[in-house]
Amino acid sequence: MAPLFYLITNQFYLHEIDETLILTKSAFLNNSMSKLEEKDIPVWNRFNTNIEIQNSTGLKTDTLFNKLYYNNIEKENEPYRELNSPISIEGRPYTLSIKTNLLETEDLIFTLLLLFMSILALLFGGILLINKFLSTRLWKPFYQTLQQIEKFEIANYHKLNFASTDIEEFKRLNNSIERLIERNIIIYNNQREFVENAAHELQTPIAVFKAKIDTLIQRDDITEGQSKILSSLYKTTSRLSKLNKNLFLLSKIDNQQFSQKEQVSIRNLINTQLVFFEEQAIKKNIIISTDFQNEIRINAHAGLTEILINNLLINAIRHNINDGKIIISIHDKILSIKNTGTVKKLSEEKLFSRFYKATTSNQGNGLGLAIVKKIADLNGWTVSYSYSERNHTFVVHF
Amino acid sequence: MKLLLIEDEIELAKSIQNYLESNDFVCEWVKNFSSAIDKIAIYSYDCILLDIMLPDGDGFDLLTELKKLDKTDGVIIISARETLESRIEGFNLGADDYLTKPFHLSELLVRIQAIIRRKQFNGSNKIIFNEIEIDMLSKVVKINNHEIEITKKEIDLLLFLIGNKNRVLSKAAIAEHLSGDMADMLDNHDFVYAHIKNLKKKLRNAGCHINYIKTIYGLGYKWQDE
Repeated sequence: MAPLFYLITNQFYLHEIDETLILTKSAFLNNSMSKLEEKDIPVWNRFNTNIEIQNSTGLKTDTLFNKLYYNNIEKENEPYRELNSPISIEGRPYTLSIKTNLLETEDLIFTLLLLFMSILALLFGGILLINKFLSTRLWKPFYQTLQQIEKFEIANYHKLNFASTDIEEFKRLNNSIERLIERNIIIYNNQREFVENAAHELQTPIAVFKAKIDTLIQRDDITEGQSKILSSLYKTTSRLSKLNKNLFLLSKIDNQQFSQKEQVSIRNLINTQLVFFEEQAIKKNIIISTDFQNEIRINAHAGLTEILINNLLINAIRHNINDGKIIISIHDKILSIKNTGTVKKLSEEKLFSRFYKATTSNQGNGLGLAIVKKIADLNGWTVSYSYSERNHTFVVHF
Repeated sequence: MKLLLIEDEIELAKSIQNYLESNDFVCEWVKNFSSAIDKIAIYSYDCILLDIMLPDGDGFDLLTELKKLDKTDGVIIISARETLESRIEGFNLGADDYLTKPFHLSELLVRIQAIIRRKQFNGSNKIIFNEIEIDMLSKVVKINNHEIEITKKEIDLLLFLIGNKNRVLSKAAIAEHLSGDMADMLDNHDFVYAHIKNLKKKLRNAGCHINYIKTIYGLGYKWQDE
């Protein structure tokens, strides 16, 4: 683009210069030539640098050409455009030489070019800016909507606020998303309510069960065989009852029913319950040791935090081997519970999902770790599992 | 001792009634709110067992009614609802205790006994069983008038056994009673055996010539006077 423009402008300008030279010649012919005498020639030449009367070179027609002349001031050769034309003074032939310095004109062309380019650049830049500005304004509602969707979590439902917009398509988009979310929230709430109601309803029949068995074992005509069965029934009722309580707990956590927070000391929580767990550990002759390097104080629901720690500890006992060990340690904001156990590493992804049981132990109901994870998620803590050389370690990062 | 049971679940109510009556309580039973209101208006009870989820009314309203009538009957709320709010509301309205279903009948019994003790003797009373005397206020246990060394858990166990005397108590019931809030975290009930053994030894060393704590094979333990 630019070179083309330059060439055209150059040609155009050269053409103009030639015309000027010819015009100068005409002016000379009309005004000066008739008045000139031969003896005036040296004087003319002395005071006119660019219009020179030279001795005739046998030229018959006007000739235009480029030629370099040395500039004394600039100390360099400079290009000139020259017109040589045959004239006659007092009847004698001479050559009129009119020349113009092209360098300046070249500079001029260059400057013009620069100006043109700048204007183009400015225009172009301006268009880009305006385009970007309009585009941002146009897409703003879209990005706002996008941001809201990205942040949305069905469990922590806050009403989405879509900015009002004039653009029809975005209005439609926002409305559709709102309706979609509403429908999903209703379904989710229904499910939650269902679990909660189910667990609630189950408590009464389980209570009846327990009561009846309590009554049955009072009889003095129970045989040894019968008492074994009764004992097993009793244990199963306890399992049912605990499972139900855990389901209930899970659904209550979902329902945000534990929002009351207070200052909780992890070290104190563990120390308070340590006796209970040591008693539980006696059966398998497990030794529990603690290594608390500092205090961890957090702001959370005390009951839930207790449940989290208790579940981890009871797991450490339940899935331990005879004569095993449990090490509870705290350093910085990390609580880690390590226990000896089975040779197999547990599956980390499945570990925290509901009802997953690594062994067929009939003690746990598979919800313990799911509850731990839910409580951790609720508070923004992370809980992870690792295995090395028969040691299973659970780590909570507060 | 007169008790009023307000429970709409028939099977559960029958079990509770049987258990309490075989422990020398008179236990009347109503199934709904309106009958309950009638009863408390006319009679007085030592303790009322109230299920707050009744078909024709809210159990909490009964508490308000009791207050209006200026009654001093003890109230234990038995409910499947386990929220903190329900408990607080219950206590605020004047309930004495709150038991969540499902519970052991033996647990219910000792709670009733505790409330009756509190109401009658303002808590400063003694429980006497033959040569054993337990001072509820100072938690001192004397056998043949000599004070014995005993841990808090062992006192709990002793009270639980004596309260439910002549009834077979399952290991689970004992374990849950001793564990209190941690009852859900129980993995095994083996520690019960250790506590029973220790208690038996202490009673024997203090001079109890009868071993009151009988082992019922496969099921649990019983406190019996022979």
